[in-house]
Amino acid sequence: MKKLGDFMAETAVSVEDLKVKFPNEKSFLFKDFSLSVTRGEKVLLVGPSGAGKSTLLKILAGIIPNSVEVPMKCTDCKLPNRYGYVFQDPDSQFCMPYVDEEIAFVLENTQIPPDDMPTLIKKYLDDVCLSLPDIHTKIDRLSGGMKQRLAIASVLALQPDVLFLDEPTAMLDEEGTKQVWDTVMNIASDKTVIIVEHKIEQVFDFVDRIIMINSEGSLVASGEPEVMVHQCKYLFSQYGVWYPSVWQEKLKNDKQCVEVLLPEVTIQQLKGYKNKKELIRVEEVTVNRGDWVVITGDNGSGKSTLLQALAKLIKTKGEISYSMNNDSNYYGYMGYVFQNPELQFITDTVYEELAFSLRNSQLSNDECDRRIMEQLNIFQLDHVKEKHPFQLSVGQMKRLSIAAIAITRPQILLLDEPTFGQDAANTFRMLDYFASLHRSGMTILMVTHDKNIREHYANTEWKIRDGMLTDARRLYETDYHSDRMGVRQSVMGT
Amino acid sequence: MSWELSSKQTWLHHVNPSIKLILLVVVFVGLLLIDYIHFHLYFVIGLSFIYFFMTGYSYKWLLLFTLPFIVIFISSFTSMAFFGEGDKTLYQFGLFHITEESLYRGLHLGIRSIIFGLLGLIFALTTKPVSLFYSTMQQYKLKPKIAYSFMAAIRLLPMIAEEVNTLRQAMKVRGVTFSHTISGIYERIRYYAVPILAQSIRRAHRMSIAMEAKQFNGNRGRTYYYQIKYGREDLFFCILLICGITVCYYLQTNFSFLPVERVLH
Repeated sequence: MKKLGDFMAETAVSVEDLKVKFPNEKSFLFKDFSLSVTRGEKVLLVGPSGAGKSTLLKILAGIIPNSVEVPMKCTDCKLPNRYGYVFQDPDSQFCMPYVDEEIAFVLENTQIPPDDMPTLIKKYLDDVCLSLPDIHTKIDRLSGGMKQRLAIASVLALQPDVLFLDEPTAMLDEEGTKQVWDTVMNIASDKTVIIVEHKIEQVFDFVDRIIMINSEGSLVASGEPEVMVHQCKYLFSQYGVWYPSVWQEKLKNDKQCVEVLLPEVTIQQLKGYKNKKELIRVEEVTVNRGDWVVITGDNGSGKSTLLQALAKLIKTKGEISYSMNNDSNYYGYMGYVFQNPELQFITDTVYEELAFSLRNSQLSNDECDRRIMEQLNIFQLDHVKEKHPFQLSVGQMKRLSIAAIAITRPQILLLDEPTFGQDAANTFRMLDYFASLHRSGMTILMVTHDKNIREHYANTEWKIRDGMLTDARRLYETDYHSDRMGVRQSVMGT
Repeated sequence: MSWELSSKQTWLHHVNPSIKLILLVVVFVGLLLIDYIHFHLYFVIGLSFIYFFMTGYSYKWLLLFTLPFIVIFISSFTSMAFFGEGDKTLYQFGLFHITEESLYRGLHLGIRSIIFGLLGLIFALTTKPVSLFYSTMQQYKLKPKIAYSFMAAIRLLPMIAEEVNTLRQAMKVRGVTFSHTISGIYERIRYYAVPILAQSIRRAHRMSIAMEAKQFNGNRGRTYYYQIKYGREDLFFCILLICGITVCYYLQTNFSFLPVERVLH
């Protein structure tokens, strides 16, 4: 018994009196921060965006300061000898083009003899349940969930004692998220695991301890998940963490709005092409003024392509008729927000970014300024209005990209995964804004994976499967209604 | 966007990439020193034979790839032939002055550019970048740090292509227009370059951290998943080139049909 106790108490990772300060920042990111994780423990780190959770994880792994130089100091630390680190972005953590080559890269680094490699590669892929017909498959062909499982397989090849997971599912859809967490639970039972994540529902049962840090970088609470969720719920909601009942609480106050059945967009026999390949087909469907349409479907089924077709960004055949008067100012009538906000910034400051959108409006300078300030206020960007858009945090960039499009008050707003990878606080802020636009009569079409948006905000759902709109139905309070009413609206593909 | 070309694997694919590279570079430099026009003519026929029958791609693709080189051939041929100097005038009209010397000099230059195009294509079409870098690491002790930077960079290219496309759409949506003046061109370059560079630098940084987190150390000893060695094919390739050059030399000395032997610069 005593032996077991000793084993349990053995420290796997620890830091003491950690001080971290980024150059050019006024305040410390961490000051006198101490943390210790025992061997075999599963720890979840939560906190508001920008609190330095990822930085802390990198320090515990030794990536900072070994690979990334950040001024830091601590009186004592114990770092793991062998660790595996899974990053957030599935696309920028591989250096080789093929699945087998990527795992081989790790095996080469640890000087495994080449003859053993094929068997080991198969073993690690089996461990993460990534069964591919051929291990020499292009990584680009994998879905996001598969890519993250490959990332896990390749860090398993390092035979790590400690596994660091830095929001591994932030860029994944629901199915991918589930696959990744199932895999982690499978492989990590005997390992120390430290997770940063703001969607805690899936890992709730897996972790032994939740550690919460605030935006000043100090530890505010730490304890078992059940205890934490009961005692510190207000902190979860304050910090925008996705805890299990967050949606129900959010929705207590919100209510839905009126409907007018006035066709805004009518689509007939629409086909969208990219590189001469037909990627999306819609037989017939109508969007009414004031609709909130969610477009759902698997990854790669053609949801974004449909939005691009509606926004005339790709070649189309067939008919789309809009209820706009003249064709001249098409992109004033219809706003389009891309998934990656960085690619739609044009100017050098946040303020100018909004001013750019209004440059062709008939408004006076004062009126423009007033409207921009109002918009900055709504999106909580007023304190960064002189910054370059690229200096903003991910959440702020996303808000700016929406603000810059919505400021012209288009009649239709097309949104490609607007809440993707955002924490709860950001998501709700955005949804509140969309809801207010919607109440003022704007028609919204939104590609999303989020079931809750579909259930609580949208009034219409379009399902896309294999490049085809297979079902368009009105959503009402109960499923019973949606089935019946679906008949009127539904489009039947052949 | 996918840019995948499928081809049959031919024996040329199995030639050691470093050997292939070195031999082709030697041929390349050697040809610069030779100015026998018949030699070049026969050599281009030989290379076309390798290009069309040994690379394993469909003729449709192969012909398409030669298109830019044919354009270069025509442009270098005409610019040399029409305006070159020489004594024996064949045709003169205004600025155009075609002499026998300039005609052959132009022909020679054009053929040379086609030869260089074909050499490059033969190499590029039958060599995977990954194999080339694995081979240079193993045969010529290239530092893994450099080899892996190249391999990782190649992975970035399709992502950049995708981003340029999105950027174009985003500018359209936000109503950005560029004038056709110099400043308009400058603006266009700036609008595209800044976000693409910012994204790429960020991504490259993340990638390098991920590589180091996987215990990659640019200099230390490592094992190799692909064991790239010398083989029979290397000998074949060597013999093929030597035979080709000998045959071209023989034909050049015995069957010259043009009135010019050498093109003097």
